[in-house]
Amino acid sequence: MHEMSIAMGLCRQLDELAAEHRARSIGRVVLEVGALSNVVPDLLREALEALRQEMPLVAECVFEIRDVPLVVHCHDCEKEHRLREFRFWCPQCESPRVQVVSGEELLLRDVELEVPDTKPDETQKESAR
Amino acid sequence: MTAIRQVNVKENLLKSNDFLAARLREQWAAQKTFVVNLLSSPGSGKTTWLERTLPALGEKYRVLVLEGDIETAHDAERLHAVGVEAFQITTGGACHLEAHMIEQAWQLVDATEPYDFVFIENVGNLVCPASFDLGEHLRVVMLSVTEGEDKPTKYPKAFHTADALMLTKCDIVEHFDFRPEEAERLARDLRPDIVSIRSSARTGEGEDAWVELLESRRAAMLATPSESEEAGRA
Repeated sequence: MHEMSIAMGLCRQLDELAAEHRARSIGRVVLEVGALSNVVPDLLREALEALRQEMPLVAECVFEIRDVPLVVHCHDCEKEHRLREFRFWCPQCESPRVQVVSGEELLLRDVELEVPDTKPDETQKESAR
Repeated sequence: MTAIRQVNVKENLLKSNDFLAARLREQWAAQKTFVVNLLSSPGSGKTTWLERTLPALGEKYRVLVLEGDIETAHDAERLHAVGVEAFQITTGGACHLEAHMIEQAWQLVDATEPYDFVFIENVGNLVCPASFDLGEHLRVVMLSVTEGEDKPTKYPKAFHTADALMLTKCDIVEHFDFRPEEAERLARDLRPDIVSIRSSARTGEGEDAWVELLESRRAAMLATPSESEEAGRA
């Protein structure tokens, strides 16, 4: 659903991130698409491919799109369960008191940027802003 | 020389919509305005149900409808004709409403005297509207008996995100192979606590349950301290 507008939104965010880090290009982007996000990974991939032509920043970028399964936490048996179907009742104890832990999101997880090197021969790792 | 920098972003790509929606929700709650988002396929009876029930509701409460459509102001005009205040949002092509559209529309609404209820009638579509929080306090999905009892299973996100289900056109159910209890069971698979109301705009079936739902949920909202109030107390 609306993968092109999502891809455009993502590219805007990447642009902002690149500016913040003074990055010259983006090497890799990891996205997580939840089973209930209404986003189709293949369509998102196609939309990103189309945008690649317009945006030098991501010309060589590898877009890794991971499927995230629907996982719920059951408040009664206090365990997490992966749902195999869209049925929001605990697969183990049949309780309706379940909360979605993952699977609804559309997440930009990691970005690998090429930045000006202030310390030669060093790879830096940064945690979330 | 260049270096590789890994940034663990962990950001929701729909965050701008959700941020605006959360802000709207709190703003409205602070004004004691209870907002309802109505989702359904085109032709399920959203406008007809509002035409039927809002004139009476409007005698007890201050009510406004935000009408969402791709084209025309027909629905807002229908509501005006029965004395209900309505503001038309025409998307010109977007098949769903988003929080920024609601925020823009709200800036044109005179809410100097706050509304008790605002109904957002979303664009007729069971797919995309499900993914966009509009800041509502109650999400209602409407399904008519002419549409097929298995629609909840076919449109999981719309029914999973809905707080209430309204089955519409129940007065003509005998003409169709539609079992209300089956549609309700399938909706509960997706949302165990979904409240179901069987309705007919023709006969008025479900009107009392609808008003009771609105009033009780609004009362619950008014009784809940807002996030900012709670933060103030902490």
